[in-house]
Amino acid sequence: MGVLKGGLSVRRYRAETPPEGFRDTYINALEENQFREPLTEVHKEQRVGWTQVHNLLDTSFLDTNKWLYNQYAVFGLRIDKKVLPAKLFQAHLQKRCEGWCQANGRERCPSKVKGELKEALELEMLLKTLPRVAVYEVAWNLNEGWVIFHNQSEVPNDTFRKLFHRTFGMVLIPHDPLDFVADRLDYIDELVGSGASDLRMEAS
Amino acid sequence: MSDTEESQGAPPHVASEFFLWLWYQSETGQGRVELGSDAGTVEYWVDDRISFRAVGEEKVSAIMTGDNPSLTPEAHAALAGGKVIRDVRLALRKEDREYSVTLKAPRIEIAGAKLPALVKSGDEGEVLYERMFLYEELHFILGGLFRAFATARCDEAWRERTLPDLRRWVAAGPASGAGLDAGEEAS
Repeated sequence: MGVLKGGLSVRRYRAETPPEGFRDTYINALEENQFREPLTEVHKEQRVGWTQVHNLLDTSFLDTNKWLYNQYAVFGLRIDKKVLPAKLFQAHLQKRCEGWCQANGRERCPSKVKGELKEALELEMLLKTLPRVAVYEVAWNLNEGWVIFHNQSEVPNDTFRKLFHRTFGMVLIPHDPLDFVADRLDYIDELVGSGASDLRMEAS
Repeated sequence: MSDTEESQGAPPHVASEFFLWLWYQSETGQGRVELGSDAGTVEYWVDDRISFRAVGEEKVSAIMTGDNPSLTPEAHAALAGGKVIRDVRLALRKEDREYSVTLKAPRIEIAGAKLPALVKSGDEGEVLYERMFLYEELHFILGGLFRAFATARCDEAWRERTLPDLRRWVAAGPASGAGLDAGEEAS
């Protein structure tokens, strides 16, 4: 689904046109912000970075034949996050607290102990949990200064805009319907200022 | 990144009224727009889905799907009840190329767009160039439709003639063409 095949569901942005000699600059920028696996398997924070569109495990941008097609730059945004199943986690934690109480002859598990058990369980379960992986395709027309991001939800779009800014130093401006009539300020004033049309029948 | 770098953008009613105008135009036999001397003509009609929301809310409150949802009494009843269009699936034809796309308010975003596949096989670059060309054409068509809407919406005739026609059309129900005098075109 996306830029190369299937249905297209995109948010469009305006971008600046790239500077002279952008190729080398952008290769380095993409390399610097490529997706990197976390150093430890118990990493639970979200990780983001660029990948190639062909395979999310390919994260090198040194070969421009893989991502630059004349005026189009095409790459993917990968977002990984490890999420523990909340109900299973709570059930295990309860068992461990009960076990601690039994072993120590106590009725209640002190909060400090519960905190330690929780931390240990979290590390244990993170080791066994695979991350939730999402990849969203990006196509950038470098000549005409527009970018499409293959998702319309706010959170991935925010993440995309931030990483794009960090990578290329450009602020992406979301396309707005009024951009279609950008040369007609009178239309824009009227469309914005006139308010919604009332479709109810007027009493005669 | 600062939000102040962006303009306020179109208020939500703009997209909803654009969708309504497209629906009205297509149902009253005028689903056709000249895109300019070099760009030709595009025909359009409501495809298989319309969804509605209440004014001031974002969530969908009614959805009509299936064949000709715009011709159902329920769809007109939703409008008559004060609901506005949240998204609409359109079919568009330019020359021999037919597109199907859902337009979503308030940004008029393209969702689930089916592009006409011209290149059946070929290398990746060829497929990409074709799909980007078709995407750009679709965006261009939508721009042309929106400009036609804006021209009608900002004309004095909107309040004097089009809006009363729209009200009669909404009140009269599906496939009525109500409000249009014989031989007269809605502006």
